[in-house]
This record gives sequence, structure tokens and C-alpha cells, in this order.
Amino acid sequence: MLRLMKYELRKTLNVKLVLAAVTLIAEAAFLIGYFTRNETLYSLTALLLFMIASTGISVIGLWSLIVLHRDMNTRQGYMLFMTPNSCYRILGAKILECGLSILLAGAFFFLLGFLDVTLVMRLYNENIWQFLAEMLQTLNERLTITPANVLAVLFWLLSSWLCSVITAFLADILATSLLYGKKWNWLVAFALFILLNIGINWVILRVPATMSVVAQFAIQGVIGLAFSALMGYISATVMEKYLSV
Amino acid sequence: MLESRELTKKFGAKTAVDQVTMKLEAGHIYAMLGPNGSGKTTWMKMAAGLIIPTSGEVLFEDKPVSLESRAHVAYMSTEPYFYAWMTIRDAGKYYADFFEDFSMEKYSEMLKSMELEEELKIRTLSSGMVAKMKIALTLSRDAKVYMLDEPFNGIDLLARDEIRKAILTAAVPEKLLLLSSHLVEEMEAIADRAVFIRNGRLVEVRDLEEMRETDGVSMADRYREIFGHAEVNG
Repeated sequence: MLRLMKYELRKTLNVKLVLAAVTLIAEAAFLIGYFTRNETLYSLTALLLFMIASTGISVIGLWSLIVLHRDMNTRQGYMLFMTPNSCYRILGAKILECGLSILLAGAFFFLLGFLDVTLVMRLYNENIWQFLAEMLQTLNERLTITPANVLAVLFWLLSSWLCSVITAFLADILATSLLYGKKWNWLVAFALFILLNIGINWVILRVPATMSVVAQFAIQGVIGLAFSALMGYISATVMEKYLSV
Repeated sequence: MLESRELTKKFGAKTAVDQVTMKLEAGHIYAMLGPNGSGKTTWMKMAAGLIIPTSGEVLFEDKPVSLESRAHVAYMSTEPYFYAWMTIRDAGKYYADFFEDFSMEKYSEMLKSMELEEELKIRTLSSGMVAKMKIALTLSRDAKVYMLDEPFNGIDLLARDEIRKAILTAAVPEKLLLLSSHLVEEMEAIADRAVFIRNGRLVEVRDLEEMRETDGVSMADRYREIFGHAEVNG
């Protein structure tokens, strides 16, 4: 499994390096703006960094999906599917690599954002924690900063991202395996992705909003993980039985 | 060693392989012959476990092809299938990571004898160089079955000689080699048995020595008899 993950990482490395390079350039510009007290520069680059962070994680998920699609629809798939690895291991490695990448990228952007906001707050002699608490309360009046709340929200976020990526994997695998060779199978995959997301969100939104923040986000996160595991298993089974490359 | 029973593969309305039943034995080099689109590649891919049959089955050592058989069957596709970032050495390391029977030393030796530098990026290689590299990669495995799809495709005479030499070196009594090619005369110098396939259907499997003795025809003559005016390249 680790060997498979190593090659999955290598296949997605270029896009991650580009993302890291763009982030580094934006961060360097932000720091230059900060230390030269150039408000326009650090404000704009802070906005840019926020955009890179929010799209970066989507890009990582999307790129994993593109790699999976290529592996199933181009000759490079022979490299993977002629090895003595089951589809469960192959897909498991893809999901784990993608999940870990999302987790690490999320942690990296979170830390970077925290450090940058701390710097800006120092400039205005304000307290970062107070600022974050006020910001969160404007978003949701029930959200207060406690370690449990932060962990629950982070768990829910990670679970949601992973669930979205695996939903996309399942949609693509179903379309490719069952509509082998059809040029419009991507359209079917997209429609399936939308339908699956609607269904999963319908279930997740059944969690009552009246319970505590921790309980609500934790339950939603667990439901997301359960769906991820189920869809991962279905995807690998479909690949094992029906996928021709 | 390798057997297909009533093996069929359909792609939509087209039947690529149609009810093919045959048994291939160890200790022989089989030439799989037929014009373009006759189903040779599809049959091999099903035997390699890359394509799921519509019906029928492929057996390796009397068991349906599976993960276990992939560890003993070395398949070489005619199309390039390597990742864009790979060098010749990376491809070897990849095989070493996933195939227990792969020998990096043997691979390096074969590359040296073929005058291929390991640090070259595969995407920069000529088609002849890729063909030689694919052969080196596949034959550096100590597999029980080697299936080489069009190993002589698009390569010059000297490279062909090297590939032929490598194939003959790999042919030992306990192994089975299956090669497909349009180059019938080329194959006649290597193979001792021939599988003729037309329009996805098996025509016959023949022992070439026996065919020459009883029918008094070469493999190329038999090819012309079976396929008539179909294209005979090389």
C-alpha cells in the first residue's frame, strides 16, 4: 500500500509543487508589504493567500480525480492495473494519499493564515483570539472558540472534503466502468456526482441543529466518513468486477 | 499453462474476440498471427487481466486469471504506457517495487547491451528505443508467461536483431512466450507454434515443425492461405 501511495504522490507532485510555489510567492509579497508597512500590498496579498488556500485544497482533490480518470482511461493505467494489486488496494492508496494531502494542506494553510493574521493584528495592537471569536460569531452565533468546537469543525471539514472527493471518484468509476469507451461518459459522471451529493447532503442535513456544536459537527463528520467508506468500497468493487483499461 | 475457454469480448456492437477456446503450453514460443483488428491484442489484455471478458474465461495454471496470476504473467503492451515523468531507471524501479520476480541487475545489463542510458526520460526516446526498453523491462522479470504484443513494431533491423536475441534467451522449457506481430517472416525465425486468429475467431493453433512436415508449408504460406488477400506487412 505504501508503495502505491508513493507513486500516487509522485503523480500528483507537480500540481502540489506549483501550489506551494504560488503560495510562497504570495507569502513573500505579503511579508514585504507587512515589513514595509505597505497596507495595499499586504491587504491584497492576504486576500490572494486566502483565495489560494480555499482553492488549493479543491485543486488537490480535483487533481487526484484527474489522475484516477487518466489511470482508467489512458494507457498509463496499465502501469497500475497489470501489477498484482487489487482494486481495493489501488483505490485505497489513492484515497489515503488524497486524504492525507488534503489534511496536510489544510493544516499548512490554517497555520499560515493564523500566523499572517497574528502579524496584522499586532500592527493594529489587537488580540488575535478576540478577533477570531468575533469573526466566527458573525458567521454563526453558536460558534465560540473552544478546543472541542475547533476540533469538531476541523473534523467535519476534513470529512466533508474527503467525502466530496470519494463521491467524485465513485461517479467517475461508475461511468468509466459501465460505459467503457463512450466519449460522453464524463457527462454521466458529472450528473452522478451532482445526484450523489444531493443525496448525501440530504442525509447529513437530517442531523438536528438544536444539539451542541460539537455533537452536530461530530455526527455530520462521522456520517461523511461512513459515506466515504461505503462509496470507497462500492467503487473498488465496481473496478474489480467491471473495469477494463 | 494458459488457456481460454469460450472467451468473448464485445465492445458495443463489435465483437473483438469471439468464443476463443485454446490451450497454450509451457516450453513453446507461440506466434499470434492475424490482420489488424483480428482480436490478438484484446485476447492478450484479457489474459493479462486488463480487460474483463464479456463471457468465457482465461485460465492460468488451471485457475482463472487473478491478482496471483498477474505476479507470474509478464505482459508488454504495444502502446507506450509509462508515466510522463519517468526515466528508464524509474521504470525499472517501478517494476522492482511491484513485481517480486523483477531483477534490476538483469534490467541494467539488458539496457547496457541495448545501449540505452538509464537516466534518459522515456518521453524523449525514439519509438525504437522505447521498444527495446519495453522488452528489457518485461524480460527482466522471471515470469512464467511472457506476452509481447507487437515487439517489433516500428523498429529498425539492428534493433530487431537485439530484441530477437533477448526473446530467444528468455525462452526456456518451463516458460511460455506468446508474441503477436504482423511481421510473419520475422516471427517464423523465433516461434515454434502459431495461433491464427481471424475476425476475433480462432482459426487454428499449429506446431510449425509438424506443419512444415505434413503440409509442406511455412508459417508465411499458411498465413497467406488463411487470410487470403489480407494485408501482410513485412
